[in-house]
Amino acid sequence: HRTVTGKVTDEQGSALPGVSVSLPGGKTGTVTDAKGAFSLSVPSDAKSLRISFVGYEAKSLPITGESLGTIKLTADTKAISEVVVVGYGTQRKREVTGNIASVKGTALANLPVQSFESGLGGRAAGVQITVPNGVVNNPPVFRIRGVNSLSMSAYPLIVIDGVPTFSGDVGATNAPLNPLSSINPADIESIDIAKDAAATAIYGSRAANGVVLVTTKKGKAGRPRVMYDGWVGMTTPNRLPKTLNAQQYIDVKNEALANAGDTRRYEFNKDANGNNIDTKWMDVVYRDKAISQSHSLSVGGGTENTSYYFSAGYTKQEGILKRNDFIRKNLMVNVDQKVGRIFSVGTKVSYSNEASLISGSSGSLEGEAFSSGGLARLAFLTSPIVAPYNNDGTYNTNGGSGIGGAKGGLNVGIYNPKILLDLDHSNTEANHVQGSVYGQLRPWEWLTLRTQYGIDYILMNNDVYANNKNGDGYSANGDATSTYTQYKRWMWTNTAQFDKTFNQHSLSVLLGSEQQRDQRERYGIGRQNQMDPYFNNSEGGWLTDLSRNMLRRENYLLSWFSRLNYNYKEKYFVSGSVRQDQYSAFGEDKKKGTFFSVSAGWEITKEDFWANSKLANVFSTLKLRGSFGKVGNYAGLGDYDALSLYRPVPYGERPSLYFSQAGNPNLGWEVSKKTDIGISYGFLNNRITGELSYYYNNIDGLILFVPQIPSAGIPSTSAIATIPANVGKMYNKGVEFSISAAAVTKKDFTWNTSFNIAYNKNEITELAGALDKIPFVTSSLEQTSVNQVGNPASMIYVVRTNGVDPQTGRRIFVNKAGEEVFYNPIGAVFSYADGKQAPAVGAKDAVAYKNTNPKLIGGFENTFRYRSFELNVLLTYQTGFYVYYGSLAGMKDQRYWNNSVDVLDRWKNPGDVSETPKVVYGDNISNGSSFAISANAFKGDFLKLRTVGLTYILPETALKSIRVSGARVYVRGQNLAILTRYPGPDPEVSSNGNNASGQGIDRNTLGNGRTVTVGLNVNF
Amino acid sequence: CQKDLLTPKPTTDIPDWEAFTLKERIANEATGLYTVMKNGKFLGGKVLIANDVRGADFVNLTTNNVTLNASWKMTAVGESQEIKEIWSQGYMAINNVNVFLAGMAAKGNAVVGDSLSKIYAGDAKFVRGLSYFSLLQLFARPYWDGAGSKLGLVLFWEPHTKLGDYSRARSTVKETYAQIIRDLDSAETLLPKLTAATRFAANKGNAYSAIALKMKVYLQMGQYDKVLTEGAKLIAGSGPFTSPGGYALEADVKNLYIPKYAGKEAVIYMPFGASPGDFPGTQTQLGYYYSPASVGGNAEYALSPAGIMGDPNWVAGDARRQFILPVGARSFLVKYSGPSPYLDFSPVLRWAEVLLIQAEAKVRVSNTVDPTAIALLNAVHGRSDPGTVFTPASFANADKLIEVILREKHIELLGEGNRAMEIIRLGIPFPGKSATVLEVKPTAPNYIWPISSDELVYNKLAVDNQ
Repeated sequence: HRTVTGKVTDEQGSALPGVSVSLPGGKTGTVTDAKGAFSLSVPSDAKSLRISFVGYEAKSLPITGESLGTIKLTADTKAISEVVVVGYGTQRKREVTGNIASVKGTALANLPVQSFESGLGGRAAGVQITVPNGVVNNPPVFRIRGVNSLSMSAYPLIVIDGVPTFSGDVGATNAPLNPLSSINPADIESIDIAKDAAATAIYGSRAANGVVLVTTKKGKAGRPRVMYDGWVGMTTPNRLPKTLNAQQYIDVKNEALANAGDTRRYEFNKDANGNNIDTKWMDVVYRDKAISQSHSLSVGGGTENTSYYFSAGYTKQEGILKRNDFIRKNLMVNVDQKVGRIFSVGTKVSYSNEASLISGSSGSLEGEAFSSGGLARLAFLTSPIVAPYNNDGTYNTNGGSGIGGAKGGLNVGIYNPKILLDLDHSNTEANHVQGSVYGQLRPWEWLTLRTQYGIDYILMNNDVYANNKNGDGYSANGDATSTYTQYKRWMWTNTAQFDKTFNQHSLSVLLGSEQQRDQRERYGIGRQNQMDPYFNNSEGGWLTDLSRNMLRRENYLLSWFSRLNYNYKEKYFVSGSVRQDQYSAFGEDKKKGTFFSVSAGWEITKEDFWANSKLANVFSTLKLRGSFGKVGNYAGLGDYDALSLYRPVPYGERPSLYFSQAGNPNLGWEVSKKTDIGISYGFLNNRITGELSYYYNNIDGLILFVPQIPSAGIPSTSAIATIPANVGKMYNKGVEFSISAAAVTKKDFTWNTSFNIAYNKNEITELAGALDKIPFVTSSLEQTSVNQVGNPASMIYVVRTNGVDPQTGRRIFVNKAGEEVFYNPIGAVFSYADGKQAPAVGAKDAVAYKNTNPKLIGGFENTFRYRSFELNVLLTYQTGFYVYYGSLAGMKDQRYWNNSVDVLDRWKNPGDVSETPKVVYGDNISNGSSFAISANAFKGDFLKLRTVGLTYILPETALKSIRVSGARVYVRGQNLAILTRYPGPDPEVSSNGNNASGQGIDRNTLGNGRTVTVGLNVNF
Repeated sequence: CQKDLLTPKPTTDIPDWEAFTLKERIANEATGLYTVMKNGKFLGGKVLIANDVRGADFVNLTTNNVTLNASWKMTAVGESQEIKEIWSQGYMAINNVNVFLAGMAAKGNAVVGDSLSKIYAGDAKFVRGLSYFSLLQLFARPYWDGAGSKLGLVLFWEPHTKLGDYSRARSTVKETYAQIIRDLDSAETLLPKLTAATRFAANKGNAYSAIALKMKVYLQMGQYDKVLTEGAKLIAGSGPFTSPGGYALEADVKNLYIPKYAGKEAVIYMPFGASPGDFPGTQTQLGYYYSPASVGGNAEYALSPAGIMGDPNWVAGDARRQFILPVGARSFLVKYSGPSPYLDFSPVLRWAEVLLIQAEAKVRVSNTVDPTAIALLNAVHGRSDPGTVFTPASFANADKLIEVILREKHIELLGEGNRAMEIIRLGIPFPGKSATVLEVKPTAPNYIWPISSDELVYNKLAVDNQ
């Protein structure tokens, strides 16, 4: 034994107390004293010492003598870029053999979005984010490498600090509640998006849609760092449809009445001053400017043994729809503590209170497209000749549930949207607690034992009121519902991690087991017949009590897993993982599934032949890698879908029970076999880096809710009875390319640029046996989409049209047989060109018309810094897809509905060439209201100026005097411009939410807004 | 780990392996046969509404396809919501019967014993017969067209509880009627002959209501002699025409149109209760469709002045006119005046109709101005308009008497789900309703509904009408 001494400092030469000094792999060790000095007795054959300290790069030093002198540690500023978070651990980026895209938290920190994933679009290759409408706190459509499921959820698994969280809309009102919005984006350190089998298989049966690992901020050793970040902003509606004014409305509708042989006529209504009423309903329904603000404050710091991070945030964001708001208050605490030399404990607790507020249906959430009270539709449907109020100041109603002002038996609208906006509410308030505690034992350098218990509780109150004056609540004389919902998840994870390096062989092995249990409970009361208009909640005065929204369910996932990583000289890499899951919702003999991956990597630049060649001067890194694996999916499966059930429902106040669900005892996982081959490269000392990859994801045993022949009488409460079964097959294959460059790195001017593009091809190769297509019906009413063998998922499924007959102004449909059929609304007669009557054309003549899956998606980001100014510009694009603009069918409907200005160009006289047929009052077939038509399908290709940010960094000298260590002010624009030929408000749209079988449908949906914010970021 | 958590048992629904193990539970399942049938998408609402709005007595006010505007316009297609819903809900009622019968045969009969299992089988067949009959009226050509040789329904007797290919071709109309009659004959034998004292409580089938239903079935088939055979078992006396089962006309017609009517005149009514699930669902409730706002409805349909309301033969003093409520320029039917959640029972068959069926059959069979038929007519008519008493002298010939019986039925059953059934049975055109909704001739394809488009997509053996 001999004694080795030394002193550890930071780069500036300040002593670092509490630094670990140890023999690699051994128990022997010590820590530096207050002056940074250490003295350690080591065996005489010891060759090196390891010096490590939180927040600094660890060093390994050869023991050259008794004194090692002053050892400088450099701050670990590259920690994030060098390390990626993987399931149940981290890995150095250069050792990763899987496909993982990393996004820094700072990229999303102060975007005017409600949840972080909404800001991911364009930032990572192969990641598609579609913000489906302008309703705040609505989960975006989130796809990684295309759509990987049809009936189940295609949403990736989201894991926050090791605890998988809930996703989707978990609320039970017309205001969506995305549980991911409980995280303040400012609290996120990094987001790692695992795409291939190698990166995801450790999550086994939940990995098929990709896994998103979110890591929140932790404190760093050193003095406390206090940060404030706040912004205020304004959102304005963008590209709203243009509709007829009162005069135009009267002209068009009266022409339609005359054409229908109807003698009634619309006429102007007069306001109190005797002027013609001409209401712009868009102005009644939309905010002209919606104000939002966000504030967050965080404190982080630590010592060698303790690190902590606290944060608090508040945001209130208004949507472009009146009365649509999102408010979040959140707190988060991350604490890690070392207890002695080998034991550490820590906890993370986050709490948020979120309120999603809206008056009633926006018509934009899944299932709402045809809501009578859907506000986006009422804004373009309601006739401009009537006003929200009568001339005496009272609300304009027809004395019933509808809007008034109609004369001569002619309608003017459905509900009066002003009344709904003023009186109704449909609010969800969530209290969301996510937390975990862990204990970690590291008896030797090579062994880490860890246990973690985590919870994710969402406790929600859903508060709905539909007024008794107008709208859905009218016939019940007012209707209030309160629903209490709880989502409760606990999980317990135990892992053992072995890390060993010997003779340039580096080996790490993970073994683990995990249990996860979810319980869902929901109960509610509905009350009707309000005793007084004063009441607007279920606790008030009512005559009728009804139970509502009852639900109690549970599931359980029991797993073990293992991973092995090996590399030789950081040149050859091999890795494998395996996970076995058992899940309660599957059939008796199908509960157990095993998933795996194998992968390998080869860092070519480390080969001698390369290192000695001229190529080495150009390439700084060039790694080939490939992976193959099998993963699963069950997200969205009902807890009891495998079971056959009898439901108790009273029959005339007597007990009764009937066969209510046909289950499938053979139900098992959806299985994806993923292949990925890639090259990651770095040129010129990694000034230019990027990746190129090819992937093939073969999805076998897709769970399909297989439609059953209606006459078979399989029970169902939806439009068609289905039984889930593992029957379908589909694949996604594609190529992703990304490149980032520090293009200019002058002292005063830097330019960083990054670009990514991903091509994806999706094809369904098998549905249920002989069944080769399954139509999809939007909001249980309109068949718009189809999953068909040989085509990509969710094709637009419409009846073809061949324009308008210039001679007669009739719509020309093309029937299934390809024959042109002319439609005359008088008597609803279909006839061939020769005048012979034809069978009625309808949804049965629909064809799989166009693809809704973008072929190419990507983003292009540039950051310019000039002295204290920074300009960031992100463009995103998607091409090669179509959108069904179903709203246009409504906007050309020839019932009383108000119309798009397109109708001004309608057919009037023989010889007219027009997109709009002759108007005939009552005609709801010619323009696509009765069944979807190809005339309303449009290319969705777009290029969006997603964000533009200009930041000014305040000079340090000015700040020092006020004890501020850094400050910046910024202006940001979100969705400032869009280049597209799509005629609707926004081609990024989804009336069917995340439903993979009905994407690309724009039916009565609220558009997206355009946001400008100004913000301030201060560090103390 | 907790292995038992991997096999959780639902706590809110009963799993199939527990379904036929307990006497009380099986009794509830026997009642549940009716629950599926009385859904608002079937006999609890939409079947009745569809039959009425296809006729010319109503005017559609809201032009909303969800509330049967397309059916009213006679442009409903296989994809129309009402067509898909009625078709599938009807078949759910049928399959629920088949599943129940199979479960009873396998297990349940031994649990409940012989006498109860017979009654439950009677319930099952009653429900199945009535369900097939109701579907047949909307989705198939009338019996007179080719003597039942046209396409009828897809007939099933086997239980469907799991994934499978259940493709099956449609039987003929004649075969479907034969199945309905088999079920109802069987129900007549199996179900108890309840007495006046016990009959009205349950709102389930009994031997007498099975007979009454058969009278209507034979009427739709045009087999009037068989109507009379069945009628003979049911109708006693020569006025006031009661039955051994206790059926009789209410003295005051007003008493029929109260919420939860379950009096002597109710032969088959679908009952509702105030608990969730026990009342009809959104936009399926009779009152919601027909009542004006002031009576708690949504005024979806007003009465048409060109319909029976405007018939001068329906005299002003007729008590049944009190169910017509003028609101502004419109008139509304207010037979279903119970407000949300709309608990007025859905009248599928009532005694007055049975008497008028009997009356018509009497005349058709004898081809004379039948005095019993006149007495039956007077029993119904006289209740509402005592001032008019028909005598043989009132009718020039048998046809005139039939005309008056049919008009009587039209008036009496206005808004009770009979009109389209009556039109197609008689082979008369559906009258035009507006400048764009024209008359539909019996030969026209839209004289009857197409079948559900879902059936055509998934059942490769099914073909559509025409």
